Amino acid sequence: MDALGLLMEGFAGALTPANLLWVLLGCLLGTAVGVLPGLGSSMAVALLLPLTFALDPTAAFIMFAGVYFGGMFGDSTMAILMNTPGQASAIASTFEGHRMAQAGRAPQALATAAIGAFIGGMIAAVLVVLLAPVMAEFANSFGPAEYFALALFAFIATSSVVSDSVLKGLTALVLGLGIAVVGIDSVTGTERFTLGAPQLFDGVSLVTVTVAVLALGEVFHVASRARRDHEVHQVRSAGRPWLTGAEFREALPAWLRGAGIGLPFGVIPAGGSEVPTFLAYDVERRLDARRAEPRFGRGAIRGLAAPEAAGNATTGMAMGALLTLGLPISATAAIMLAAFRQYGLQPGPLLFERNADLVWALLASFFLAMLVLLLINLPFAQLWAKLLLIPSSYLYAGITMFCGLGIYATSGRVFDLLLLLGLGVLGFLMRRFGYPVAPLMIGMVLGPLAETSVRDALLSSVGDPAVLVSSPITWVIYGLLALVLAGAALAAVRRRRAPAADEEIAAEA
Amino acid sequence: MSAAHETHRPGPRPIGEGTWFAGRAGLAMPAIVAAWSLFLLIGSLRMDSGDADFPGPAFFPGILGAVGLVLAVLQALAVVRTPEPPVDHSGRRWRTHSDPAALAWTVGGFFAFSLLLPWLGWILAAALLFWCVAWGFGSRRPGFDVILALFMSSAAYLAFDVGLGLNLPSGILGGGF
Repeated sequence: MDALGLLMEGFAGALTPANLLWVLLGCLLGTAVGVLPGLGSSMAVALLLPLTFALDPTAAFIMFAGVYFGGMFGDSTMAILMNTPGQASAIASTFEGHRMAQAGRAPQALATAAIGAFIGGMIAAVLVVLLAPVMAEFANSFGPAEYFALALFAFIATSSVVSDSVLKGLTALVLGLGIAVVGIDSVTGTERFTLGAPQLFDGVSLVTVTVAVLALGEVFHVASRARRDHEVHQVRSAGRPWLTGAEFREALPAWLRGAGIGLPFGVIPAGGSEVPTFLAYDVERRLDARRAEPRFGRGAIRGLAAPEAAGNATTGMAMGALLTLGLPISATAAIMLAAFRQYGLQPGPLLFERNADLVWALLASFFLAMLVLLLINLPFAQLWAKLLLIPSSYLYAGITMFCGLGIYATSGRVFDLLLLLGLGVLGFLMRRFGYPVAPLMIGMVLGPLAETSVRDALLSSVGDPAVLVSSPITWVIYGLLALVLAGAALAAVRRRRAPAADEEIAAEA
Repeated sequence: MSAAHETHRPGPRPIGEGTWFAGRAGLAMPAIVAAWSLFLLIGSLRMDSGDADFPGPAFFPGILGAVGLVLAVLQALAVVRTPEPPVDHSGRRWRTHSDPAALAWTVGGFFAFSLLLPWLGWILAAALLFWCVAWGFGSRRPGFDVILALFMSSAAYLAFDVGLGLNLPSGILGGGF
């Protein structure tokens, strides 16, 4: 009851006309960016991050919630209509979703996605509200050794699970960790790797890295291919965006199963919602193969419903993990963490004590954002497709301008613009040669936490490394890490034998 | 070149074809990682940690530099042993995987924007950036683009400087003479 009371206060804080405007604006902007081809929800958040600094913290985070969920919805809208997922987490939605669209059921597919995202997100938000105070209390017992174990978990899991090549994932991670050590050392005050430049004393701003790697690097990458790849867009959607009762009953179990699969992944730092969306899709496909009339391959509503619910369930839980543990599990959550820091707030157990009003207003705004999205997207989903009429040259020119605007507005220095450009080129090279960017972001965000906690732990034990594995909590975390690594190794071995396995599956189906 | 390719009109030969570097452009990333790791490693060895107890400020970056070097060497080996497979380039009109002209326009445009921003002011510098990127992406209406670019940069100025109170430079348009 306590949590519910606090949530009601949060609603009272979030439900001012101005905040409602911000959540609406956030949803619209997020959906707009997410809908644009090739641009995903993390791009939406990265681009809008510097701009929200003009707002007060509560309004900024409320708008963020809208942008984030809106961006996710835009991703899957495009995955369904155009087969161009803006982000890896929307790929699983393209398989059956795009087939539904090709079969002339695009509006129903969009409605399935919208309701699935709503259900998954709602269940996650309710769970976060109920569990957050408990989790925050639990996290209070964490010391430096436990935080180091968590950070190590996030590092290893993101760089080995998300990327195809462990080597490339680790390289991206080391780059991110390296960028984070530039600046004045927080423990001793020693100047590190600044080359004497006063602009670097505070370190490289996380906002600059975010915009450079996620947005500008993407622009350069698209530019390098713009006149070489030509995509053909065909599907246009029109008609009834509502589901019939039969369709709804067909999709309902898949929504719930998807949400169930997505929830636990929200607290495992393994790179966000790619894994659960694929897992949910796979579960539905296997269940479908057992039915008398398998529907997969021809636009099965369940094959779309499950990954959509799973994706949003993971995202919602991830926000809970970010708020209570201060642990970002995906690139987008890392950006949210950057936003908190920009306001001088440190997510983690103390946030619930010091800034309770802000936290509960943010949680309340999750509910609002999902409601607003359902309202603006069920009737108008196909209108978003009109955004594709903007020529890509003007689209990317505008995005580049926004990158410059955001960074200059927050720093006011040409130095940061040049840093942005250099890191943007790095982001381009990483994309060109197949290096994942998420580990770089995670390394950049969690690097300082990992460094200070490992040093604090070692300082307190006078250099004895046994302190790092001295508590039951660390044993559990390292045990889970071993499980995740074993799972990833197993998956890699299976992938190596994939050609044969795929034929088997095709024969089964 | 096999007989099958001669039936198509052959495209220009890719730069570096037949040399050792063909398919090995991927060495760029290990090179960057190695340089950055060396910078970290040398910096940590030369760092004056004062009388800080172990582990001092050089502890963490030193480990990163060492790990980074190992990773760079492993990847360089991977690229050297298995270059990117040569793609069939018959019927193509380009000589490199990436489009150097488009990259030059976008990267160069941003570089010029960064340096000129304090003098030209937001409206002119951002319009220049917009125009360069649009051109790099293949827009071929320079006159119309100038007007559109000025409109976009002015709109951004009005919305974010005048509207939201962010601080954008007005430059020579603001009477800086």
